[in-house]
Amino acid sequence: MKRDDNHDGAIVDGEIEVRLQVNGASRRGRAEPRMLLADFLRQELVLTGTHLGCEHGVCGACTVLVDGAPVRSCLMLAVQAQGADVTTVEGLANGELHPLQQAFNEKHGLQCGFCTPGMLLSAAVLLEENPAPSSEEIREHLSGNICRCTGYVGIVEAVQAAAQAGGGAEASVATTPAAAS
Amino acid sequence: MAAEPMTVRSPQYVGARVLRVEDKKYLLGRGRYLDDVVLPAMAHAAFVRSPHAHALIKRVDVSAAKALEGVVAVLTGEELAELGSAFVTELQRPDVLSVTKPLLATDKVRHVGEAVAIVIAESRYLAEDGCDLVEIEWELLPAVVDAEEAISGDAPQLHDDVPNNNVAHIEFATDGVDAAFAAADHVFGKRFHCGRSHAAPLETRGVVADFDLGTEQLTMWSSTQLPHFLRTLIAPHLGLSEGDITVIAPDVGGGFGLKAHVFVEEAIIPLVARRVGRPVKWVEDRIEHLAASGHAKEIVMDVEIAVSDDGRFQAFRGRYIGDGGAYSGFPWSCLIDPLPAASLLPSLYDVRELGYTVDSALTNKCQTTAYRGPGMHPGHLARETLIEDIARKLKIDPVALRVKNCISSEPYVTANDMHYDGGSYIESIELAQELVDYAGFRREQLAAREQGRYIGIGFSPFVEAGTWGSEGARALGFPAEFYDTASVTMEPDGTVTVTTGTFSHGQGHHTSLAQVAADRLGVRLESVRVVDGDTSKATWGAGTYASRTATVAGGSIILAATDVRDKLLRIAAQMLEVSPDDIELYDGHATVTGVPEKTLPIATLAGIGYFGGPLRPEGQEHTLSATRYYDAPETYSNGVVVVIVEVDIETGAVELQRVVAVEDCGTMLNPMIVDGQVHGAIAQGIGGALYEEMVYDDAGQLLSGTLADFLYPSSMEIPSIEVSHLTTPSPTTEGGMKGMGEGGTIAAPAAVVNAITDALAPFEPEINHTPVRPSDVLALVARGPAQRTPKP
Ligand code: FES
Ligand code: FES
Repeated sequence: MKRDDNHDGAIVDGEIEVRLQVNGASRRGRAEPRMLLADFLRQELVLTGTHLGCEHGVCGACTVLVDGAPVRSCLMLAVQAQGADVTTVEGLANGELHPLQQAFNEKHGLQCGFCTPGMLLSAAVLLEENPAPSSEEIREHLSGNICRCTGYVGIVEAVQAAAQAGGGAEASVATTPAAAS
Repeated sequence: MAAEPMTVRSPQYVGARVLRVEDKKYLLGRGRYLDDVVLPAMAHAAFVRSPHAHALIKRVDVSAAKALEGVVAVLTGEELAELGSAFVTELQRPDVLSVTKPLLATDKVRHVGEAVAIVIAESRYLAEDGCDLVEIEWELLPAVVDAEEAISGDAPQLHDDVPNNNVAHIEFATDGVDAAFAAADHVFGKRFHCGRSHAAPLETRGVVADFDLGTEQLTMWSSTQLPHFLRTLIAPHLGLSEGDITVIAPDVGGGFGLKAHVFVEEAIIPLVARRVGRPVKWVEDRIEHLAASGHAKEIVMDVEIAVSDDGRFQAFRGRYIGDGGAYSGFPWSCLIDPLPAASLLPSLYDVRELGYTVDSALTNKCQTTAYRGPGMHPGHLARETLIEDIARKLKIDPVALRVKNCISSEPYVTANDMHYDGGSYIESIELAQELVDYAGFRREQLAAREQGRYIGIGFSPFVEAGTWGSEGARALGFPAEFYDTASVTMEPDGTVTVTTGTFSHGQGHHTSLAQVAADRLGVRLESVRVVDGDTSKATWGAGTYASRTATVAGGSIILAATDVRDKLLRIAAQMLEVSPDDIELYDGHATVTGVPEKTLPIATLAGIGYFGGPLRPEGQEHTLSATRYYDAPETYSNGVVVVIVEVDIETGAVELQRVVAVEDCGTMLNPMIVDGQVHGAIAQGIGGALYEEMVYDDAGQLLSGTLADFLYPSSMEIPSIEVSHLTTPSPTTEGGMKGMGEGGTIAAPAAVVNAITDALAPFEPEINHTPVRPSDVLALVARGPAQRTPKP
C-alpha cells in the first residue's frame, strides 16, 4: 500500500488512513469514513477476537479499550480512533494468560466464548479501578456485557478469583505500549 | 501455554471436574467463528427483507442496485427459484400438513423480515447500499397475528395449501379422561399465554460458501448445530450430492436450538456463490436475526386438572394452540413447541387419565424454531402455575400438593406412553426444601408481610425429556430415526482421535467426550482429541440439540472405544502372558491386576497393533479403530428449581433473591459443565419469565426489532444460582447418562411466576401470561382483594 504522505486523515479514494496503537504496536490501515472501529480491527487489522453481537451498542461483545477506557467498537468509527491507543483481547495475555483468562478457565466463565473477549476487557478495567470488588460491584460493572450461555455465575466467580489472585495489581491491561510488550 | 496442564490429576475422568481443554483459544481471542472465515476473492451478501407482514409482490426493480459500483449481482426470488428448490417441511406423520417456503419470496411475503432479494457486493457495506436501491412495489394484504384467530376460519389464509392456517390438529385421550373430569370433586383450569420468545444466541447466523468450479464441489461454513444433518438436508435443494458437499461448522457462538435448523439462507448462499463464481459470505445482523431467524414458545394453553377433596390429581387435560409464525421451521416443523408442551403434560405426576389437543397455527410472524426446552417450558408454566393456584384455593401447601401427587423414583410409564427411566422425583423436592429451609422461609415471609414486604417462594419440579434418540423423539411426537455415530481411533503412538457427528458449540464436548474415551481406553485425557464440526473429518451424526450429546455421542463413544479396548487387551494379554480379563487399562498403562510390575505402556500396545507383526494376536486386524452407532433410549432428567423473590408493590419490580436448583441427570460426565448448563438454562428461563418477548402489533409490525426492545437479562438481573446434585443413573443408557441442559429453562419460568404469586398471595393473584412485567404486577396488586388504601 502506498503511504499517504499527506497528514493523517487525508481521504484517498474515499478512504482515510487510520494510524493508531493496537496492543502496543503501531498499526495503520485504510477505512472509509463510515467504517466501524470493530470492522476496522477485524477486517483491516485481522484482529478477529473482537466480536459483533448486535452492532447497536447493547451487547458489549465488541468491547475494546480506547486509551484505557472500555468502548463499544460498534458505536465508534475507525476514523475516530485516529492516533488512539487501543487494546483488544489479543493484547491481554502477556506471554502467559492474564489472571482473568486463567480464572475464566478455572471457574467455567465461558461456554461458547463469543462474549468472552468483551467480558475480559470490561473485567480488566474493573480490576484496575477496584482490585477487590464485591460480587455486587462485579455484577454492576459487567451489566453492559451480555452473556447468553453462562447465566453469569462462572463469570462473576472468575472475576472474583482473578482479583484474589492479584489480578487487580498485576492485571494492568495493555493500555500503554510498555505494558503490552 | 498455561502453566499447568488443564486437567485434574486423577486419571479417573468421568465425573471429575475437568477444566475445559477448549477454553484457551477463546480466552486469547483466537476462536474462529463464522465471520472470521475469510477466503480469497470473497464477496459479501445482504438481503432485502420485507417491511410488511403480509403483502403481494407486484414488481421488483433491481436495476439501480445492479448499477451501483461494487455490486456483483442482485438476485430476486424468481431467479433463485431457478437455481434451487423451495423448502418443504413435513413430519413423518399423516396428521401434519407440509408447508412450503420458497428460498426467496416470489409472489408474496408472509412476515416482516422475509427475504425478497439478495445483493452480492465487494463488501458488506456495499451490499447493504445495494439493498437500499432495490425497489419493490407491494400490495398489502390483511395480516393475522393471533393464533386462535388464525385457525378460526375467518382469518386470511397464508398458504393456499394449508386450509384454516392449521398445520396439524392432534388429539390424545385416555378412555376414562372425560369420566374422570365429570366425577371429580373439583375441576380447576386456567388459560396461559406464553410469550413469544427468541433463542437469540450472541452470535447470529451466518454462511460462507465456496463452490469450486473446477471440482464442482462445495465447501460451506455455517453457524449451525448440525453440520452433517445440514448437509443431508440441504443437498437436494442445491442439486448436489452429499459427497460433493463439505459442511464445516466453525466455532459457534451459541445456538440453543435455533441453529438446529436448516434455513433458506443456507441454501441461498451456496447457490449464489456458484452463480457468481466466487466465495460468498453472509453474516446475519442482529436486526435480521430478531425478525427473520426463528421465534419460539408462543402457545396459548388451556389446562385443566381434576382434583379430589384431599388434593389428589385424578386427570389432566390440555389444549395447546401454537403460534408457529408464517412457515413451519425446517426440519422440525412448527409443532416443535405445541407438541412437546402437550406430550409432557403429565410431568412427574402420577396421573392415569390424560387428554390433550394440539393445534399449530400459522400467522404473519417470523417462523418458530426450537429454543431450549421447546414447548416443555410453556407447557410446564401452564401446569405448574395452575397447581399453584389450586394449592391456594384448596388451602394446601403447594409443595406438599406436588409431593402428594408425585411418582416414585422407579421407572414409570406415563398415560401417554413416555418411558421415564427413574429418578429422584420426590427426593429432589425434599432436598430443595431443605436447601432453602422451607419452613423457616414461611416464618420469615409472615414476618415480612407484617412489615409490608412481599417475599415469595416458587417451586418448580420438572422432568426433562432429553436425549433425542429415536424413542425419545417418538415419545414427544416426532417419529423418525435419530441416533449418532462415533469413531474412536488409537493412533500408532497411543494417542486417540475421537470423531463424532454431534457438535460442540459451547457445551465443552472436546473435554467431556474426551473424558469418556479416556476412561474407556485407560489413557490420559491429554492423549485424546475430539474432532467434530466438519463433515469431511467426522462420522455422520444428527448434531447437538435436545440434550442428546452426553447420551448418544457418549454412548457411541463408549461402544467404539470398547471395541478398540478389546483389541488392546488382547495384545496386552499376549505380551504379558495372561488372560485379557486380568489386564487393567489405566492412566496410559496396561497392567496385570494385582501385579503392578507386569505393565506396559499403552503406546507400546498401539505400536504393536499397527506394526507388531507376529506380536499381534493371531487373526487380529491391523490398526485400532472402530466406528459405532448408538441410538439411546428415552431419558428423563429431573430436578427442581426454587426461586425466592421480593416484589415491590409500589413499583411492580420483582427482585430475585435466591435461585436454588437440584439437578439429577444420572451419571455426570463433568459436573462443572453440568453446572454451567444449569446456570445458563435457568438464566434463559428467567429471561423468558420476566423480560424477553417478541411483540407484534395488530398489523403484524414487529415491535421488538432491536436489543433495546428484546431484553436479555444482564448480570444485574440474574442472581447467583446455587446448584445441587442427586444422581440416579439411567438404567437403560450406556454409561447411565441422561440428557440434560434444558431443565433450567423448562422449570425456572414457573418457579419465578409461582414465587411472584406466592409473594402477592394476600392479593389472590392469578398470573396467566409471561413475561410478567412490572405493569402486570401492579395490575395484580390493584385488582386484589387485599388492595391497599390508595395513596393520598
Ligand atoms: S456489537 Fe457492539 S454492543 Fe453489541
Ligand atoms: S459464553 Fe456464550 S455468550 Fe457468553
